[in-house]
Formats: sequence, C-alpha cells, structure tokens
Amino acid sequence: MNLRNIKVIVGREYMTRVKKKSFLITTFVVPILFAALCILPSVLMMNTKEKSQKVAVVDQSGIVMPYYVDNEAATYTDVTEMGADIAKEKLDELGMDVLVVVSPLDTLNKTVSVQAYSKKPIGVDFSESLGTKATNAVEDYRIRSYNIDNLDQIMKDVKARVRVTEYTMDESGKESVSESAIYMVISMVLGMIIYMFIAMFGAMVMTGVIEEKSSRVVEVLISSVKATELMFGKIIGVALVALTQFLLWIVFTLVLVLAASGIFGMNFLGEASSAQDPTAIMQSMGVSSDQMDAMGMSTIDMSSLTAAQDSVQTAEGEPSELSVILGTLGNIPYVKLIICFLIYFVLGYLLYASLYAAVGSAVENEADTQQLQLPITIPLMIAFFIVFFAFRNPDSGVVFWGSMIPFTSPIVMIARIPYGVPMWELIVSIALLVVTFIACAWLSAKIYKVGILMFGKKSTYKDLWKWLKQ
Amino acid sequence: MGIIQCKEISKSFGEKVALDKVSVDIPKGKIFGLLGPNGAGKTTLIRIINRITIPNGGEVFFDGRPITQEDVEKIGYLPEERGLYRKMEVGDQALYLAQLKGMSRNDAMAELKKWFVKFGIQDWWKKKVEELSKGMAQKVQFITTVVHKPSLMILDEPFSGFDPVNAEIIRKEILRLKDEGATIILSTHNMESVEELCDNIALINKSHLVITGGVDEIRHKYGNNNIELIYTGENVLSPVEGTFSVLSDEDNAGRHTAVVSLEDGCSTNAALAAILSQQLQVNSFRELIPRMNDIFIKLVTEGA
Repeated sequence: MNLRNIKVIVGREYMTRVKKKSFLITTFVVPILFAALCILPSVLMMNTKEKSQKVAVVDQSGIVMPYYVDNEAATYTDVTEMGADIAKEKLDELGMDVLVVVSPLDTLNKTVSVQAYSKKPIGVDFSESLGTKATNAVEDYRIRSYNIDNLDQIMKDVKARVRVTEYTMDESGKESVSESAIYMVISMVLGMIIYMFIAMFGAMVMTGVIEEKSSRVVEVLISSVKATELMFGKIIGVALVALTQFLLWIVFTLVLVLAASGIFGMNFLGEASSAQDPTAIMQSMGVSSDQMDAMGMSTIDMSSLTAAQDSVQTAEGEPSELSVILGTLGNIPYVKLIICFLIYFVLGYLLYASLYAAVGSAVENEADTQQLQLPITIPLMIAFFIVFFAFRNPDSGVVFWGSMIPFTSPIVMIARIPYGVPMWELIVSIALLVVTFIACAWLSAKIYKVGILMFGKKSTYKDLWKWLKQ
Repeated sequence: MGIIQCKEISKSFGEKVALDKVSVDIPKGKIFGLLGPNGAGKTTLIRIINRITIPNGGEVFFDGRPITQEDVEKIGYLPEERGLYRKMEVGDQALYLAQLKGMSRNDAMAELKKWFVKFGIQDWWKKKVEELSKGMAQKVQFITTVVHKPSLMILDEPFSGFDPVNAEIIRKEILRLKDEGATIILSTHNMESVEELCDNIALINKSHLVITGGVDEIRHKYGNNNIELIYTGENVLSPVEGTFSVLSDEDNAGRHTAVVSLEDGCSTNAALAAILSQQLQVNSFRELIPRMNDIFIKLVTEGA
C-alpha cells in the first residue's frame, strides 16, 4: 500500500466531513442537549418546591394536628370545629387547596385513617408526607399509651439505620471505598458511548462507500489507487472525524455546564472538581454522560434509570454520601480506563468499519443495505444488551465471554474496566480483537475490491461469498 | 515497440469469458481506437490496462516492461460511466484526483488553474458538482483526466454528452495532446471520429480480437476496388469487358455520378484510359475506400 495515497485519501475523507453543516450541528447541539439534561432536573426540583399547598385539617382524633407543622411545601389550618362535610363544601370559600380529614381514633387498633380531598390531584411526595406525619403521631400515641417513663426517648435510641460501605481491595491489599451503583452507571455510560460511536461512524463509512459507488467516481479512483488503499483511507479518515467530534463534545459540554452553573448559581461540578485525582475532562465526561445515560436508558431499562437518578440525588444529598462517591470516583483506574477506552474504541471501530465497508461496496443505494447489515448489527445489539442487563452481576459468565469475543468485546470490556479487570484478560481480549480485525479487514477488502465495480444488480450473501473466493 | 503491449490477455468472471487471449500493441504517440460492440470486452481490457482488474492470464507491458502500480500514475482514465463526488466543490475535487495521480498540491493547483482558464470555467471552482450540468461536469472530468500530463490517456466515449461546440474543443485538445507526444486510447462507437482521429485500431468482438492494425491499411484491405466517377457529356458511361463494370450511374442534369467496379487484375490507369476513350468529360475520379462503419458492421455481423 502506498502511504502517500492513503494520506491524501484520509485528508479528503476527514475534511469533507468536518466541513459539513451536519457535523457542525451535531457538534454543537449534542453538548447543549447533554448540558440541558444535566441542568434540567435541578431546575425542575427548585421550581416544584415553590408551590405551597394550603391545607385545611379536620382532626377528629385530636392527636395528629400537632404534627402538621407549616413548612415550605404546605401551610395547615385547623378547621376541626367546622366538621368534615361543611369544610368539604366550603373549601373554595376558605381559599384552601386541600382538605385532610383524620378519622376519630380507633382505640381498639390504636390507629387512625386519613383522607385527603382536593380539586387537583395532590402530588405523590405530599401525599406521602401526610401519611408519614400521621404515622409518627400514631406511633407516639402508642408509645405514650404504654405509660412507661422515657419510653419515647428509648424508642428513639433504639432506631437504627445501618449502611453498607463497600471497599475494594487491590493486589497490594490497599482498600478503598466504593459504591456499586456508581460503577454500574459509569460502565453503562462507557459501553453506551462505544456502542454509539461504532454504530454511528461505522455506518458513516458504509454511506461513504455507497456514495462513491453510486456516483461512479469509484472507477476513476481505483484507476489511481488500489481498492484497499481507498478502503483503509476512508476508514481512517472517518475514525479521525469520530475522535474530533468526541473531543469537541467533551470540551463544549464542559464549557456549557460551567457557564450554566455560573448563570443559575448552582453547583453542578463544584463538589466534584474539588475531588483529588480525576482530571477536569473526566468529570465533565462523567457528568454529561450521566445524563446521556439516563436519556438512553429511559427507553430501555427503567431500573438503571433510577440507578442513575439515585446517584444524582445522593451526589446532591448528604456530604457523607458524597465522600463515598468521591471515593468511588477516585478509585476508578482512570489512566487504564482512558487507554483502554481509546484502544477498544479504535479497534472496535476498525473491526466494524471494515465490515460496514464490505456491505457498502455490495449495494448501490442505502435502501438495499438493510438485509446485508444484519450480521453486523446483531452482535452490536447483543453487546449492548449484555452491558445493560447483565451488569447487575459483573462477574457473570455472559459478561466474561462477552468481553472476550471480539465482536462484543469493545463494548462489554470497556464496561468491565471500572470494576477492575486482570491484565491477562485485557491482553487476551485485545489480542483476539486485533487478530479478528486483521482477518475481517482482509476478507472485507476482498469483497470490497469486487463489489465496488459491480453495478446493476442487487447483491446477495451468495454473491459476497463468490467474491470472497475470487 | 508500443507503450502498451497486451500479450494474450484472458479474463473470465465465473463462467463468463470476458476476454480470450487478446493481444494488442499500442504504438507510442498515436491515437489508438478500441472498437467493438457493447459487451465485447472493451471495458474489461481497459480496466486491465489500468490495473483495476487483474487478468486470469497473459501480461500487460508498459514501455516494454511488465506494468506496475507506479505506472498507473502515467495513465489518465476517463471511464464511460462518468462520476464525481456530487457534494464536493469542483476545485477541491480536481485537486484531490490530481493528487491521487501523484501530483503535489501546488503543482496540481497551478496546472488546474491553467486548464480552467483555457476552458473558460474559472468561476466553477467553488461550485459543487451537483450544481453543474452534465456537459459541464464532463468538461471538469476531462480536465481531471489529463491534468497530470499522462503519457497514456484512455478515453472511453469522450464526446458523449457534449454539444458540437464542446465536442470540437475536446477533439482539438486530444489532437494537441497527441502532438505533444501523448498516446491516446480512444474507445468509441462513433466511426467518423475513428476515421478522423485514430491512427490504429483494434476491434474486439465476443471477447476475441477480430482485427488490429493501421486505420488506412484496414480500410484498403477491406476496399473492393470501387471507383467513384463524376463526368459530364452527351455520352453515358458503358462497362468495358475485362476492365470494369458500372454499378450505378446517376444523371443529375447532365452531371453524372457513377460507381465503377474494377475487374480483378485491372489497374486504375487502365480503367481511366478506357473511360477517357468513351469521349466523356471527367470531373472527378476517386477510389472509394470503405467507411469504418461498414467494416465494423461487416466484421461484427460476419462473426455472429
């Protein structure tokens, strides 16, 4: 192969793509989406807090009302002497949003029941808080009814909440604090990114091959350069486009999130950026992808969505939780992760792009690719599902084999890295991937060489097989 | 020795034989017509010379030695199915194709500017190919074929898609390139341009070489000793036994145009003497060489 030719081809493939409007649009719009998804939950939460409910209470038990104390979410007015029926009718007159009726105390079962009436449905959170407060009232009543001195104090002392703190140990026996949920989220985000990039840019290679074939420019091209030079030039050019786009996304997302936190006076990254080792870039990735993750998964796996939200909530919650998160983040082998991400992204992309190129060479328009693409999209989808469903148990056999088999390993292995992967497994997996890539590229080139000059007839698997043997 | 020598080239695609032991010698500095009906194997032969397709048998020699990938830079190829990147700007595209032929970016830029000025299309430089008409795109493609000053040009139907004015411009360019020493392989179905431009031809039919040689030589070889005679006078030309017969004689207000067929062994001088002896006023006496078109049809249909 002639390196000069490949350089010229790579240059064209790269420049024509980064100069396209669609490239600029995706480069700018995607980070805006990421940042919006990053900021929106906080903004929404702030807004919901402002709506305060006016609550009229008819407390027939006589024990619950003291527990309904005014707060940001609601103000309570005692209308017990009015009676439930009249209060219900006069709700609007009183200027109240909600009427809460507490039943008379059931002395046998030592409990009460609570009904809430309102024109508009009350929120889940508010409903829960009404229940919790009534429960507290009833519990305290029960404690008092035992007539034991200081029982309420004793009961408070007895209440406990035990939290599991997870530690991971490395070979030298060094322990570090960690949390599985965070690992899971990071794994999914990484797997998702690689999946997205392979599918997106692999398809870009295919489209490029089809473009050259359908416009017939290919015949002039391969009268100047070898078909293999053309194929690899295109694959490499698109890879550089992918890396450029990725880098720009990181930078823009970071800029946007920082700008937004300045405007809204909120601290999205503040705590995280005070963390010890992780670099600023890694964090921006973490934050933006958190949201991307949630976005991607909302259609796929509700449980992982809540996992993602959990971590967000805890991050904004108690500082003790934060230290666990920071500990976990600090615990992730970043250098290894970044190196492996690049290796698996590049190799995974190369493997699939060469297959996509072969498929592209066999057709004259994109509509005909559906059927021939199937053997490419199926392993990609399998890898995707392994990451999203099997990672509840990261040591399972499915995950292990998924991270070894070359067609799924780029996605599955990168998702395994945050959990720690033995070096030998990494080496075997990468070696298998390299060998498979070389084999696939060789076979693809054979198909490609023949395919790009075949016109006028829809190619089938049988044709591809024939070209392979030529 | 020719710039390109094809020695017993064979190529088959599965069961289908595209070329069967075809040998042609393409002399340097000449225009070589590659003729044949559709599907005869011309495009396959062109692709083999371009090293796009690898033959199953035989060998191609470039300047006397087996052709290599490096030689491809000295070839300019205008395929019959034209094509450029539709979304790419004309200038960028021409630069790209020139660079793939081994030119440096600066050389390509300078040379392309010259061609664009020559064809009066400087303001197309920033246009996208999809904005050009078919004829305009053809012009651009012609430039990209010749910009790297190839010593061999392979032009497949170069005039198709051009209006007569532009076809004439291209024709003149082809002749000029030949004068500068380039060799041109012209594949075309237009027999008039073959007669006008080509020095040598090869005719391929059904994957076999039917005939190859100089155009004049072939035309004379297939000539049937007919003479066109234009005369005036009272008398009407009558055949002379043993010398010639009269195939036709059209009287156009006293001006006759006759076709005379010489008998075997009769020289043109003898025929002319016999004609003059008939008291005619001879205005024109011209040997009738068969048109390439007739030879083409004859050879192709005979082979069927």
